Amino acid sequence: MAEPLMQSPLSAFDLGVQARAIDDSRGVWASEIPLLAYISLRGDAGDAAFVEKVVSVIGMPLPVAPCTFAASNGVTALWMSPDEWMIVCRRERLSELTSGLKSILQGIRSQVADNSGGYTQVSLQGRNALDVLQHASVYDFAALQPGRVVGTTFGKSSVYAYRADNGFRLIMRRSFADYIWRYLVRAAAPYGLGIAAIEATGHAGQGVAE
Amino acid sequence: MFVLFCPHCQEKREEEEFGYGGEAFRVRPSTPDTVDDETWGDYLFMRSNPKGWNWELWSHATGCRKFFVVKRNTATNAIAGSWTLAEGRKVYDAEGGAQ
Amino acid sequence: MSHRVKHSGARVDFDRPLAFSFDGKSYGGYAGDTLASALLANGVRMLGRSFKYGRPRGIVGAGPEEPNALTQVETGAATIPNLKATQVELYDGLIARRTTGWPTLDFDLKSLCGPFSRFMPAGFYYKTFQNRTLWPRFEHIIRQAAGYGSAPEEADADTYDHRHRHAEVVVVGGGACGLLAALDAGRAGLQVILFDEQNEMGGWLLSSPNTVIGGEPAAQWLKTIIAELRSLPNVEMLTRTSAFALHDMNLIVAVEQLQDHLPLAERSETKPRQRLHRVRADRIILASGAIERPLVFGNNDLPGILTASALTTYLNRYGVGVGKRVVLQTSNDYAYQGACDLANSGCSVVLVDTRMRPNTAWEQRAHVAGVDVRPGYGVAAAQGGRAVKGVKLVKLDADRNVMSGEGPTVECDAVGSSGGLSPTVHLYCHDGGRPYWDEEKLAFVVSATGRAAAGIYCVGSITGTFGLQAALAQTQQTVGEVIASFGKAPAQETRKIETDEPEATPARRIFRVPDGKAEGHGQKAFVDFQNDVSAADIHLAIRENYRSIEHIKRYTALGFGTDQGKLSNVNGFAIAADALSKSIPEVGTTTYRPAYSPVTFGTLAGPHEGDTFEPRRYTAMHASHVARGAVFENVGQWLRPQYFLKPGEDQEAAIRRECVATRRSVGLMDASTLGKIDIQGKNVREFLNRVYANAWTQLAPGKCRYGLMLDENGMVMDDGVTACISDEHFVMTTTTGGAARVMSWLENWHQTEWPDLDVYMTSVTDHWATAAVVGPKSRQVLEKLCSDIDLSPGSFKFMDWREGTVAGVPARVFRISFSGELAFEVNVDASYGHHVWEALMEAGAEFGITPYGTDAMHLLRAEKGFIIVGQDTDGSMTPFDLDMAWAVSMKKPFSFIGKRSFARSDTAGPNRKQLVGLLTDDPSVVLAEGAQIIERPDASLPVAMLGHVTSSYFSPELNRSIAMAVVRDGIQRRSDDSRKAGRDVLFAYSRGTTHKVKVVSPVFVDPKGERQNG
Repeated sequence: MAEPLMQSPLSAFDLGVQARAIDDSRGVWASEIPLLAYISLRGDAGDAAFVEKVVSVIGMPLPVAPCTFAASNGVTALWMSPDEWMIVCRRERLSELTSGLKSILQGIRSQVADNSGGYTQVSLQGRNALDVLQHASVYDFAALQPGRVVGTTFGKSSVYAYRADNGFRLIMRRSFADYIWRYLVRAAAPYGLGIAAIEATGHAGQGVAE
Repeated sequence: MFVLFCPHCQEKREEEEFGYGGEAFRVRPSTPDTVDDETWGDYLFMRSNPKGWNWELWSHATGCRKFFVVKRNTATNAIAGSWTLAEGRKVYDAEGGAQ
Repeated sequence: MSHRVKHSGARVDFDRPLAFSFDGKSYGGYAGDTLASALLANGVRMLGRSFKYGRPRGIVGAGPEEPNALTQVETGAATIPNLKATQVELYDGLIARRTTGWPTLDFDLKSLCGPFSRFMPAGFYYKTFQNRTLWPRFEHIIRQAAGYGSAPEEADADTYDHRHRHAEVVVVGGGACGLLAALDAGRAGLQVILFDEQNEMGGWLLSSPNTVIGGEPAAQWLKTIIAELRSLPNVEMLTRTSAFALHDMNLIVAVEQLQDHLPLAERSETKPRQRLHRVRADRIILASGAIERPLVFGNNDLPGILTASALTTYLNRYGVGVGKRVVLQTSNDYAYQGACDLANSGCSVVLVDTRMRPNTAWEQRAHVAGVDVRPGYGVAAAQGGRAVKGVKLVKLDADRNVMSGEGPTVECDAVGSSGGLSPTVHLYCHDGGRPYWDEEKLAFVVSATGRAAAGIYCVGSITGTFGLQAALAQTQQTVGEVIASFGKAPAQETRKIETDEPEATPARRIFRVPDGKAEGHGQKAFVDFQNDVSAADIHLAIRENYRSIEHIKRYTALGFGTDQGKLSNVNGFAIAADALSKSIPEVGTTTYRPAYSPVTFGTLAGPHEGDTFEPRRYTAMHASHVARGAVFENVGQWLRPQYFLKPGEDQEAAIRRECVATRRSVGLMDASTLGKIDIQGKNVREFLNRVYANAWTQLAPGKCRYGLMLDENGMVMDDGVTACISDEHFVMTTTTGGAARVMSWLENWHQTEWPDLDVYMTSVTDHWATAAVVGPKSRQVLEKLCSDIDLSPGSFKFMDWREGTVAGVPARVFRISFSGELAFEVNVDASYGHHVWEALMEAGAEFGITPYGTDAMHLLRAEKGFIIVGQDTDGSMTPFDLDMAWAVSMKKPFSFIGKRSFARSDTAGPNRKQLVGLLTDDPSVVLAEGAQIIERPDASLPVAMLGHVTSSYFSPELNRSIAMAVVRDGIQRRSDDSRKAGRDVLFAYSRGTTHKVKVVSPVFVDPKGERQNG
């Protein structure tokens, strides 16, 4: 039997082969930041015990203001709804964080669910990154402030998006990633699309906004 | 193609982000097994369907996935406001229910 | 005749000649020409034949109002039908052809109708083809004769995109007022987008370069203001961009033509041809201007008769003189500047002013220019065959619009008429605004204050402020209010902008010029050129008792063309009002709806075509399926293998092979697409008790249970297996297509009805990849890959689940079955899905493990009588109708969703359609799904339908056909029911033949469940 090999949702596009360092030759640079860990966390933001205990595991305050996120020490916590967050980190920390949250939240109204196989993210950079999003989504991305994350439409699908790496980070469900990537390739074509080496994002392999 | 304010995300968003959930504040009989057929039938099928101000349930489908209420004028698409279910309930009750 | 007038004010570049072809002939033009201006410059007058009567028609307007000059531009994949020649920018190599005139332009079949035209009145087709059997025979000929372009026959090679944006201020229209509005708003620091449909900003000023504005010629004034606008980073100017719709809450939709003006060879393949802009604007300033309407008179449709403003535009903007001897007819001041310009260009000009006393200042200027002004006259009728040759004048009564005496006949080769200006109020009206009739301005106008509360402001001609100086002042005032509404101040003091216009004098209220005859007895006087609607047709409609303008419009087809009545509507309303002896406000206006001008389907579709037409969702095992020859089907946006083709196989053989392998040895199915919802909290059991028909209180950790989910009507809406992970943690599965609906349904109930229940739900559909190992050898396959779960029958029972490691990957294994065979569903993190699938294939190789698709899955489950929600149910089936009372717990304390409805009279009553199995008398007959079930084979029509077939297959296992059906009182008809009394024989009408069937239990294979439990 072969050794277990993980495949990211966009692995079929062989993006790594096309990847190169970002320069001015293209208006848009995109790349998948694959195989991160995604933990769905639900609980009552108004419950001090819940918030306190989560903080003790993720090592930073849980963002409770609508449409905000916080990042520290390789962990990003994204506000999804008043009682829902997405915790994103490297795979190496998945079991530590998941079991840490599960055990510390025993007896507290909450939910911890590993959703790592269900999501991936794409970094979108370049001078025309905003244009591409305007071709894809009804959200007013020009007005999106750093530190804020929004769930909105992308074509006929949806994404969570925030500003990162001089551009944007898009988090999407695995099964929709193919559609979203193709849409993005199409929308970016008039501006020239380059596949960015992940190292160029400054977040090698972790894809976490600091 | 109007714009709704999501009381949870605290932002105005395009209608495409939302799903319509029908008339708000319909009351499910608390003991369904003991109500008569007419009462149950009214709960199942009867809607006020006003031309004018209507309290509506919406969900922020591509955003926070929360249900909330909107008071919308079905004739003009004017929107009086959006509230969380709990806050909306207070306003609705203060108005004496659906108008 | 038409000719070039090369003057420096023209907006064409005489140093850049272009070649193009029209109807197969080659012509020349210049950069900056439209197809219309170039055709006129080449003397092409007649561009088509009219819709109904086949009358010769030529260019009438110079913009989107053009009713006649519809052309088919380019060929093959790049062709676009019905473009107005007035809006097609000329480029080198352009190929265009007319769209009307059949069989040839010179001989139009319909022109034969001309002498008989009184037999083709309004409502002709409606009246003639009331006998509908005649229509199909004539439709083809009539449609071909009527003309209009051809839809492209090749796939569109171009791409289109959409762009969603927000702006503080959107200005629609780049004429003098729009530019000034954008400038003032831009200087105040507001973020501004300015749309104009033409190839350059300037609007009417491009047609009137000699107007003095702010002390300088219009051309210079434009240059200055456009340069400043370009320098403002917060202002974006989009030319060739037509704002065609305004929706709720200031959503402006516009189409930008990015490449249509370029020669085909110069068009970029990577850039879109057109772009749809959807801009949500805080404030909208409509500066959409006005369109001149012509006067209605006899033979007013002859080629060479245009609007006065179009004549002026062709001369001043395009350097084209449409005639040498020109007659202008006007009811107002607006035609005078054009008359002067035409005379100064060398034409002889007769200006027929229907007013008794023209504006003296203008009259003086006209005299200086050499214009022959004839006050108090009107053009009763034009003369000519395929082009205008002269006009017959009549003397008009001073007060009433009747003829007071004969007038001379004037020879001419071009006629321009002006009946006043019609403001372009369309966008203002799209989201509910209404224009009102201004009897002084003789126009439907919008309020000068717009709808400020909604953020919609109006400047310039749209408000009926037709004088340039007054319009600029009104613009400054209004934009000041816009700026103030943002809490900002104008960047500088408002300065008065003066122009050289004389003070305006009132227009004559005239729409139809009299010819001394009763309507319908003189020469045809057209109101709507595109649909061949004459003044007499409107009178006829009224005589036939059509009173509402909306009815008159539909009966006559007034304003229904691709020009949307831009020239014709007001004349039509006014003529109707006069005929009804009503005022124009009493008659009212018709409804303005998007789109303002035609938009291609490609633009509306935008990126939603090709491989981005719809989301296509893929499982983690997709590459494995492709490699094994899968044919895919779309299920709830997912691409699922339908069957796997081996060389030499057809679909039927593949399904048979997959089923046989699964029942005899082992099959493998990708079940990743099923919806999965992780539910946690202290009250999960109670929550499940409420949303499912069955009971969840006793289900122990490590166990699974099948559940039926009902809607509040008691009807089955979804089903699936839910596993108890721990007392406060369950994982629910849903149907593939129902996943999102169920998730939203559960959240809705939790949030709106039971927020007090301690549960949280999260969709984990995409997280888990699921491989179903199915068949008698499935245990042996799994044993090779899994050492930390005791798979023995005594330990790992049917409907148990276990956590362990499969192929080196953490997994949840469910012993559940949708085929009736021993089966294990292996769930792993989808990142490992491909790995685990391949490992199972490798481990199963020695048993001939066979991947199978949805077709085999459907067949296998039908052999077991398992339902598919949405196929065997249709929203009207209760669990009892499905003979699934075992999945309903009536004893649960909370009245679960749908329970109360079981007691409603219809749900509880007799004669319900119920799910049964059917066996055809002839085992080789596979009934059609949807086949109707009837009582007797020989019943006379109409036959009472007892139900229909929902699922039907040929079962390899039984070597005969099987079917599932819903049948009235079906359960009691089953041959295994003791009360059957011979009722089990029915008939199914399938594909034209009636087949005898026996009603049986739907469980055809292994009714005791020995295989799945083994």
